[in-house]
Amino acid sequence: MHNKGKRVMELEEIRDIRQRKRVQTILITLLVVGLTIWSALGTDFSVYEVFSGLGLISNFVFIDLLPPDVSTSGSLLGAILETLYMGFVGMVVGAMIALVLSFLAAGTTTPHPIIQVVVRAFTSIIRNIPGLIWALILVASYGIGVTVGTLSLILGSVGFLTRVFADTLEEIDTGKIEALNATGSSYLQVLAQGVFPQFIPGFVAWSLYNLELNIRASTIIGMVGGGGIGFAIQKGIKLFQYKEVSMAIILVLVLILSTEFLTSKIRERII
Amino acid sequence: MEPILKIENLDKVYPDGTVALSNINFNVYPGEFVVVIGPSGAGKSTLLRCMNRLVEPTNGNVIFKDKKINKANSKQVKQIRREIGMVFQNFNLIDRLTVLNNVLHGRLGYTNTIKGSLGIFSKKDITEAEEILARVGLSKQKYKRADELSGGQMQRVGISRALSQRPRLILADEPIASLDPASSKNIMDHIYNICTEDKITAIVNLHQVEVAIKYATRIIGIQNGEVIFDGQPSQLTDKVIDEIYHDRRPPLVHAQ
Amino acid sequence: MSELEKSSDNIYSLNRNEDNNEMIVKPKKDFFIKGVLIFGCLFFLFSLYELNIDYSNLLEGTVAFFIMLGDMFPPNISEWAYVLPAAIESLQVAILGTVIAVVISLVLAFLAAENLAPNKWVARIVKSFATLMRVIPTIIWALIFIVAVGLGPLPGVLAIAVHSLGMLIKVFAQSVEEMDGGKIEALKASGAGSVQIIAQGVIPTVLTALMAWTILRLEIDIGESTILGLVGAGGIGWELMRAMRSYDFNTALFITMVIFVMIFSVEMLSNRLKLKV
Repeated sequence: MHNKGKRVMELEEIRDIRQRKRVQTILITLLVVGLTIWSALGTDFSVYEVFSGLGLISNFVFIDLLPPDVSTSGSLLGAILETLYMGFVGMVVGAMIALVLSFLAAGTTTPHPIIQVVVRAFTSIIRNIPGLIWALILVASYGIGVTVGTLSLILGSVGFLTRVFADTLEEIDTGKIEALNATGSSYLQVLAQGVFPQFIPGFVAWSLYNLELNIRASTIIGMVGGGGIGFAIQKGIKLFQYKEVSMAIILVLVLILSTEFLTSKIRERII
Repeated sequence: MEPILKIENLDKVYPDGTVALSNINFNVYPGEFVVVIGPSGAGKSTLLRCMNRLVEPTNGNVIFKDKKINKANSKQVKQIRREIGMVFQNFNLIDRLTVLNNVLHGRLGYTNTIKGSLGIFSKKDITEAEEILARVGLSKQKYKRADELSGGQMQRVGISRALSQRPRLILADEPIASLDPASSKNIMDHIYNICTEDKITAIVNLHQVEVAIKYATRIIGIQNGEVIFDGQPSQLTDKVIDEIYHDRRPPLVHAQ
Repeated sequence: MSELEKSSDNIYSLNRNEDNNEMIVKPKKDFFIKGVLIFGCLFFLFSLYELNIDYSNLLEGTVAFFIMLGDMFPPNISEWAYVLPAAIESLQVAILGTVIAVVISLVLAFLAAENLAPNKWVARIVKSFATLMRVIPTIIWALIFIVAVGLGPLPGVLAIAVHSLGMLIKVFAQSVEEMDGGKIEALKASGAGSVQIIAQGVIPTVLTALMAWTILRLEIDIGESTILGLVGAGGIGWELMRAMRSYDFNTALFITMVIFVMIFSVEMLSNRLKLKV
């Protein structure tokens, strides 16, 4: 008797949970649909306009953009290389700064909790303001050029890498740190001999990923005056030289894809 | 004979209110092979970690060779820790470094900070580390990465790391709890033989009463943070064992 | 006890045999890592040289930057009546763009996944289109759409939709491809058609992964939508551009703060959701 009652209770509970889940799903669906409709109204989005624009878009793509003007590739080559250099320098400098900051920002390695909070807050501000907006602000002080592009990429890298490095550091096996402490090692020795070897795979993988992000970001940073291929694209559009623009886009494509290819090869070998 | 380690009125209360140790008192004399037994959660690990202050004692004194560890500043703590080797249940080797490098970590406390951080050790330290590895039968593995070894081999590296400190005292926290029976015997033999040959005092936490009786010169039984037995292995009657484990005799070797 | 006794009794004699073997050679270090590091250092120096950064300008600029930071305070919130609606517009552009991308990618991802596609060529073609869409940055898509359909939020929505579509097809298809093949086989064996297989077998299995990617993409898109205004595709970026161009730094700071709050709260929210999923 007792058992039977219990089983009925359990069945009812299961039915209850199911019903609650169904209600939850319906609510979430309604919320998503509602948000979408709200957004469509707010942005004056109309499917009609998109489809009537389709003709314009294809005209633009096939008549104005294509075929790309290969003869301009020589002058664009300098710009795309500049993009590559900015992305790379941004990654290296950013990773160095983030390396130091992340040791201060990780709970396992920070010398003091207050330092941890300050560093985390500082990098959170850097990280949550997009690179292009950093570039726009920096242009006012440094003037147009690669300095602005490189600096805003460094800022972006510091913001991103400090967070992921610190997270990696916090996942480190603390037993191993304890073992080194037990031998009488100093703080710096424990960091260098105990923490760092465990940290290296994450360090390499995230830095390479950051290089990919930087290359992407540096292709557009020129649009607000940060130098590189973005500047050429912006200029081409303003001067209606669309065939040059499409050539530039192809170069962007080649650069991003080859970076992705290279970083994935290096990642495979090292980790 | 002067005791090498004195524990006086030691208490440990964790911030969450758990009382891990209460009023522990005992002396350890040079050359003893002390085995601490007790059920999991009895406070064995905390007791061991209070001895080299990896865990901060709440009250009481831990005196190693006339120096109060609990009163020492951070520099003095490091100097005391150099003379106390520690062996862990999970070996706690740095996976990506070589076996030799892991053994040399035992010399970090004696090496200057910068050199130690960069992993530069003196010729003498390296030769000595190689000798220790030969002693535990790992000469061939010295350039292998630590994570390429088997569990028993890893623990031998852990012992070697402790030995390279040239310790006066070795603390071993459940050194065989993560090992199979054959490796367990091998590891216990190594710890016992080395400590006897080199006249190193040892304090070993163990789960297995049978193993404790086989090696120990003295057994300390703790339960709920209190010492309830302290004596020769021969004095450890079934009744006492039952009391320590509350009738829960642990299995000989933990199934992995 | 008996188990312990069984293994070899004299461990030391055993070890001695081990030691008698041939000399142990120190293994060669892996030159790949060193090579990459050295090349990285050289390329870094070369890049610095080629970028030809004007270091006196860097110094002056930094001073100017901190003076400007000082000028920025206090933030000017009097323009809120323009700024907040623009922020909401950015949010709407991001939501709509992401939703469109998710809906379309749900269809295309199954064509791009090699274990479900009708044939290999379909999968390859869809995948290369996805790559093209993914690799061209959102803001360049926005520039293209502005030329085609004019200024305003519409090119922003399209740009976000197209770029996100590229990424979502890729990751959705990957999730589907990582699925255990046995599950599909089991449904096939029961005589299910391909739509039934997708609806009953594939979607329930990969749903969590799809949701996680969607949330991540929305997070990225909200960041992207704040900058689209810089090229005239609507939203808060345009307001910031205007404030900076007219040297109205106090308003610029207010707008930057709004952008920070937007992205930061989305990050917080998605961290919450990730814990739940």
